[in-house]
Amino acid sequence: MKPVLFATLIGGTALAALPALAQDAACEGEPVTLRILRTPGNYPYPAPMEAWQKDHPCVSFEINEVPFAQLADTISVQASSDNPPDILVYDGPNTQSYAKAGILLPLTGYLPEGWDDEILPATKAEHSYDGEVYSPGIEQTTVAMYYNKALTGAAGITPPQTLDEAWTWPEALEAFKACQQGEPGAPEVWGLGPTRFGNGQPGLVYQDLIYQRSAGDPDADPESSAWKTFWAMAPDGSTAEGYLDTPEAIEALDFYRSLFNEEGVAPKAGIPNAFFDGKACFYIDTPAAGSALLKDPVIEWGITPIPYFKTPVVHTGSTTFGVASRSRHPEIAVQFAVDMAWGEYAYMNVSQRGNLPTLASLFERFPVYQDYPMKVFVDQLEAWGQPRPPSPHFAQYDRIVTDALRSVAFGGDPEEAMADAEREVARALRR
Amino acid sequence: MTAIDCPGLAAPTRPRRTPRQRRDTRAAYAFVAPFLFLLLLFQYIPLAMMAKNAFMDYSLLNPDAAKFVGLLNFEDMLVFDDARESLAATFLFAFGVVAIVIPLGFVLALFLNSKLPARGIVRTIIMLPVVTSAVVVATMWNFLLDPSNGLVNGAVTAVGLPRQPFLTSPDQALVMIAVMTAWQQVGFAAILFLGGLQGVPKELAEAARIDGATAGQVLWNITIPLLSRTTLFVVVIMTVFSLQAFAPAFLMTDGGPQDSTNLIVYHIYKTAFVMQNAGYASALSVVLLVIVLGISLLQMWLLRARWNY
Repeated sequence: MKPVLFATLIGGTALAALPALAQDAACEGEPVTLRILRTPGNYPYPAPMEAWQKDHPCVSFEINEVPFAQLADTISVQASSDNPPDILVYDGPNTQSYAKAGILLPLTGYLPEGWDDEILPATKAEHSYDGEVYSPGIEQTTVAMYYNKALTGAAGITPPQTLDEAWTWPEALEAFKACQQGEPGAPEVWGLGPTRFGNGQPGLVYQDLIYQRSAGDPDADPESSAWKTFWAMAPDGSTAEGYLDTPEAIEALDFYRSLFNEEGVAPKAGIPNAFFDGKACFYIDTPAAGSALLKDPVIEWGITPIPYFKTPVVHTGSTTFGVASRSRHPEIAVQFAVDMAWGEYAYMNVSQRGNLPTLASLFERFPVYQDYPMKVFVDQLEAWGQPRPPSPHFAQYDRIVTDALRSVAFGGDPEEAMADAEREVARALRR
Repeated sequence: MTAIDCPGLAAPTRPRRTPRQRRDTRAAYAFVAPFLFLLLLFQYIPLAMMAKNAFMDYSLLNPDAAKFVGLLNFEDMLVFDDARESLAATFLFAFGVVAIVIPLGFVLALFLNSKLPARGIVRTIIMLPVVTSAVVVATMWNFLLDPSNGLVNGAVTAVGLPRQPFLTSPDQALVMIAVMTAWQQVGFAAILFLGGLQGVPKELAEAARIDGATAGQVLWNITIPLLSRTTLFVVVIMTVFSLQAFAPAFLMTDGGPQDSTNLIVYHIYKTAFVMQNAGYASALSVVLLVIVLGISLLQMWLLRARWNY
């Protein structure tokens, strides 16, 4: 028995050591370990990383994962330490905050030729600060409105499928009311389901600031309230005063509040999987939900463009990644980051999750985005896509405005909430 | 006057320490040293750094760029409403928790100290929330208080009352998280009171009953006064727990609606990590520390025991 056990141990040890031996044998330089901080299920994904390692045999990876809700806190603590992760995966709109704080390396000089022509303008704007690009970006998302065909069909509703037929919010409200089943405020089937982001409560800037932004007009006089309503913050990020509590914004927010209160077609609290369980007629989400439904069609579904008041608008943005300025291996970390976002590696990364690519040439490699329903996302992104108000203080703006929108959804006074938000943003910008 | 002026009265001298005593002292220091070192490293040095940071303006993203701003962070507490509102919400919350926990914990302790049946089961039931994670408790109460599908609203509508918004109403959210916290902590208070009750000499109550006192009179005139030390301890512990509460605001309400549940510790966390204003967060922490110390001292003075047994 003993010889068998001994042989098994020796054999097992030898097998376990094989990969390391293979890598050591191929590596002729100094071994490097790149430390990556990311959220679970996020890129860079194993397949492109392994493919990249074949060309860079001296590089190995150490991956640390934290839930998205703790990502910004973790970056706050780790990025300024003496030994931060080399690659930081983070929420795209925070690029300017991180760039201003000096925790990201500018990548402009390392981007491949033709990148400027390929990248989506909204992505480039979001990932740039002071003339420098800090993240090449891999994927892009936006939101559209999913609907449950069985429920809308039973209510005699045919939602539009193209951008030029998109509903206005009052038209959408009529559809929510017609489709909802049960007492307003506590129905069995909601007209508009809750978000899956955060704790499921309304108010997130990514999803809900578009109500009031769509009441504005980007082509109006820059001094007008309509123009300020659309931008929701000065385009240079210097102030939000007069941008959030305009008459147009307040009117839109009155409507927004009514969805959760007077009309009672949308819940104030999260209901896990409400749309997928047939408990909501309509539901706003990213392409990730469509990808999941394509793989496992638990319901019959369709997509309709996001409704609007005056100017259709959707927010862009996604998690992205950059190189920590205190990285101990900046050269190889930059090369890894740029490579992962370009060409075949970018394709491999994007195809894992099903969101949209940031490079124009990759769209044609995703047939699912060529036709309805997922094509709605591409069309929206190209025609209506806007980054969330870019600013080195976006994280603060995001939190303040989310709180204000949530208080409106819970029944608060829009004018008071937005005036308070403007004061708080001014306080944050003061620093 | 000195000892020399008083013949016959020798100056008190310290008794010589034996080698055994010196050895014991060295051993005691050796045992205590690791704890003292950790206390210094993880409590007092951070406290000192916090006090220093209260006079700085900096973000966690870029601490190297910190600059001295004097009393600006403390001035901001007076200029802006957030600190006042958050402290007011926290005091209301603490008052609510203590007001519920003290009488309820005492009544439960009386029950557990009696010879009534089912004491074992009740003891287990009231202790379960105490040992359950705050995250689990908050998640469970989130479901219970759901405005549309929650069990509590099911009961409310079943008796013909209108559905309540609970956690989404600025008027109700703070009350509900105070109730939830009290529900979780009442078992702990009951066990503390039970310990106190079992330490009250039985002879006093027996003597009073022989003299004709009713059960109520014994409770009011003997038991409650003799429990004043335990009551003091429970009040201080519950107040400090409540002033340090974080989980309900973080997990259930995000500090809302309209900042009505923006408890001070959550506000400090949000200020440092989300708003990236670590200097102001440090200043808020200093103020909280002073307040907690002050309240503890005041309560200990007000509720000091006047009886010994």
